[in-house]
Amino acid sequence: MSDTNESTEHRLHPLKKIEIVVKGKREEFVQDLLEQSGVSGYTVHRNVSGKGASGFHEGQLLFNDESGLVLFFAVSGANRIQSIIDGMAPLLESSSGVMFVSDTQVVRLKKFVGDDT
Amino acid sequence: MPTNLPALRARVENAAKVLGRCWPLQSYIAANPLAGLEKRPFEEAVRIAGILYGGRGYPDAVQLRAAWESGAIDADHLSDRLQAHGITATPEQLLNRMGRADDKRAADERAEPPADDDPLNRAMAKWLAAFVDQGNAPWPMPNRHSGFYAAWRTVAPHDTSLPHRDQLHDLPERPLDALSEALSEYDEPQWESILQHHLTALPGWAAFVKWRAQARHDAWQATYPITMAGYLAARLHTARALGISIAPDDAPDDAPDDAPDDTSNDLAAPLEAPPDNGPPPSSDAAPWLEAWEATYREQLLADLADAASGTASADSASARPDAQLVFCIDVRSEVIRRHLEQTGAYDTFGYAGFFGLPMQYQAHGSDTRFESCPPILTPKHRIHETPCSDHAEAADTHDRWAALAQGGQQLVKSLKNNIAAAFGFVEASGGLFGVAMAARTLVPGWLRTRRQAWDERIPSSDTFCTLSLDRRSEDSGSDGLPVGMTTEEKAYYAEAAFRLMGWKQFAPVVVFTGHGSETANNPYQSSLDCGACAGHAGGPNARALAAICNEDEVRDMLQTRGVEIPDDTVFLAAEHTTTTDAVRLFHPPGLTDALTDAQAAIVEQLQSDLRTAQEAATTERAPTLNGARPAHAVADTARRASDWAETRPEWGLSGNASFIVAPRALTASLNLQGRSFLHAYDWQSDSRGTALEAIMTGPLVVGEWINTQYYFSTVDNAVYGSGSKITQNVMGNVGIWQGNGGDLMTGLPLQSLQVDDHTPYHHPLRLLAVVQAPTERVERILTRNVELRTLFDNEWMALSVMDPTQENIVRYYQPGGTWDASADPAAPYRLPPNQRTSVPDSEPEIASSV
Repeated sequence: MSDTNESTEHRLHPLKKIEIVVKGKREEFVQDLLEQSGVSGYTVHRNVSGKGASGFHEGQLLFNDESGLVLFFAVSGANRIQSIIDGMAPLLESSSGVMFVSDTQVVRLKKFVGDDT
Repeated sequence: MPTNLPALRARVENAAKVLGRCWPLQSYIAANPLAGLEKRPFEEAVRIAGILYGGRGYPDAVQLRAAWESGAIDADHLSDRLQAHGITATPEQLLNRMGRADDKRAADERAEPPADDDPLNRAMAKWLAAFVDQGNAPWPMPNRHSGFYAAWRTVAPHDTSLPHRDQLHDLPERPLDALSEALSEYDEPQWESILQHHLTALPGWAAFVKWRAQARHDAWQATYPITMAGYLAARLHTARALGISIAPDDAPDDAPDDAPDDTSNDLAAPLEAPPDNGPPPSSDAAPWLEAWEATYREQLLADLADAASGTASADSASARPDAQLVFCIDVRSEVIRRHLEQTGAYDTFGYAGFFGLPMQYQAHGSDTRFESCPPILTPKHRIHETPCSDHAEAADTHDRWAALAQGGQQLVKSLKNNIAAAFGFVEASGGLFGVAMAARTLVPGWLRTRRQAWDERIPSSDTFCTLSLDRRSEDSGSDGLPVGMTTEEKAYYAEAAFRLMGWKQFAPVVVFTGHGSETANNPYQSSLDCGACAGHAGGPNARALAAICNEDEVRDMLQTRGVEIPDDTVFLAAEHTTTTDAVRLFHPPGLTDALTDAQAAIVEQLQSDLRTAQEAATTERAPTLNGARPAHAVADTARRASDWAETRPEWGLSGNASFIVAPRALTASLNLQGRSFLHAYDWQSDSRGTALEAIMTGPLVVGEWINTQYYFSTVDNAVYGSGSKITQNVMGNVGIWQGNGGDLMTGLPLQSLQVDDHTPYHHPLRLLAVVQAPTERVERILTRNVELRTLFDNEWMALSVMDPTQENIVRYYQPGGTWDASADPAAPYRLPPNQRTSVPDSEPEIASSV
């Protein structure tokens, strides 16, 4: 598949993707971490529902913005993703949440890594 | 090797987890001081808090004896609970033993030598106070706009109280780098325990920093930011400059334990040391607390069961009332509602006092905005008062007088503070101030009447201002908070209100009644205001919802959603002053003239009946207030509201012990003595359980915050409360400290909880939630909301269900998820066996020693 892509005009570039799910009250911590890591952008889904080790967390509650979950994802080069992992790993030692890192590909490399290579 | 800064950031976050949050005085939020430990069982959490903060977790012997002797603790329940805890001593022996332990503890505390880090705490409290000052200091701390760490870094090298201050000259610019440098001698696994040690050294200040760092919409934080890392960096480097080691000397595990001293026991069966892997030792007081709770709960549930059998036989199709009044769920509403209902054809409802509107509010002529919704919600709309063009004259009159009053105050302040003017000013005006002081001291009630008469000549802003309820895209603030709402949003909030309360029919007049307090010279005023409005009066929210419900477009939209509001229904807003039980209707421009004759007649009668209810309610409350005269209860509460020497204008939410989610029909025949939060709910109109889920995850959780604040402020006023008002000082318009420095006091003052030094007024009982709904509906909600369930599983509050599908059988929720199927509410209340749900993600809060 990658062979085919290389022959097209829109070449795909390999990068890393990190997905993070934490409780609402950790949103600011993760947001700060992402900002400081130097990633060029990220996506936030607030009030996400889901089930983890401790049980089910209902999002979208009428009168409670703190008990739902928040899902972040960001795409960047391996170094920047590693600095996010360095910040998330100690947090997840004592807070509920999950983090996934996977290989991904993008077309517009500059948009995700800027001039940093 | 450079320090891993992302990891350090996470260690700071982890170390701060044990802390609760502390809000500034202007928006006092009653919150659980042990909120950081709520994922642990209550018993374990209070034990850990005892080690971290030195606070008690259970009522003391004096409080228990008073409850025991007054009959608030039933003997059968007590023997039941003592047996369950394996205690064989008699109640008298136990009270004596606990009394001696309390005396010993007090003596030990007095004999304690000053701690090594006292100079460090003093230095930090000084700089924090200088930094967070909110307009009190004539000479503010320099460089505040760069943030706490930067401001401290500017001035600390000149602090002569720091012997090694020369070390502070070359500190890194960024707080995290500075923190990393301070910790450079320690390995990462040690960081958390060091940081936690420093955060719990001044827990009040640290809790305030924790709140402030997260307060995105707070103007002071936006202008003068402070972060936890910045605070810790400054603290650790100050320690170095004082020559104090930054690592705690002894491991937290070596801290004094609550276990009783065996040598002082004269009892046959002292509490045994727990097996290594067993549950922690429970306090002697735990069974007493449980018996106290069981006594109250059993009576309440028996009363409710009686009422339920009475209402079931009554005719359910009731006639249309003249007026419906929606009050806040606050326990104080119960008293006035009960008395008002007796005066005429009025229905009353309980709904969270922010009326479901997550808004930020700015009053006309004020330059401050505040969040007017519960702390678990973030505001989504900015609402401000705007003068109407056709009431320009009233607005001018109001503004002229407001400007004059403000100018006068500023003049007096600057004359007092200016070195050149101060002496002459005091000479010239001393006599006048003396007379004013004498009047305020001797005839506060008379002064209040005069002031009110004067105020009545000046139009109040609600009579000439409308609220900015309409969304205008161009008005979005810099923080992204939009002004106003779309019509869909308005209809959504209105519909939510009626659905949650199980509204069936609309009276000609519906009044949304917020509440606030009236008190003079009281830094804790906001603790007496509406908790659902983040410690502010609820009038603005009530006005907003009433105005929304009067809009034709909103009514049309509601109609398509199945909520039909008759044309002859008008929505009004009012504010209940809890100190005096007066209820004042707001008069929005244009609306009063637009009332039909029938509506106007109802409003006139209602106002008269509200005065009758006020007399009855204040007369009921008078005997509980020291020195009150029940025969002149209204005048007495008015005096309390304006007396600058009054330490107890009202009891606030003291006494709160239960939270009832049910139609008013269930509770209307009962005198709940102002101890119950009441949320209207009709299980039959909520088959999917969405309304109940909103109530249980929102208002009920806020009720738990309030209840635990009152609980802990009562069981250890010095640690979790704020001590006596007599020796308090207000610091920087932000917080309270005792004397002239030290930690920020985070809880309620002694006078809000105790009749005098030895007589408690508030009964420290954990909240009992009573929900009238099918059991499986409640179960489903608990399954979907693990945070809520944890509060019950860990016994921060209790839950019972009256199942209307099974003849209102009462079931008690048992930690772990089962129900005690006791069909007879009068059967002895049984707390669950000592089983605990394990919380998989919980790690020890006390970081391991370094």
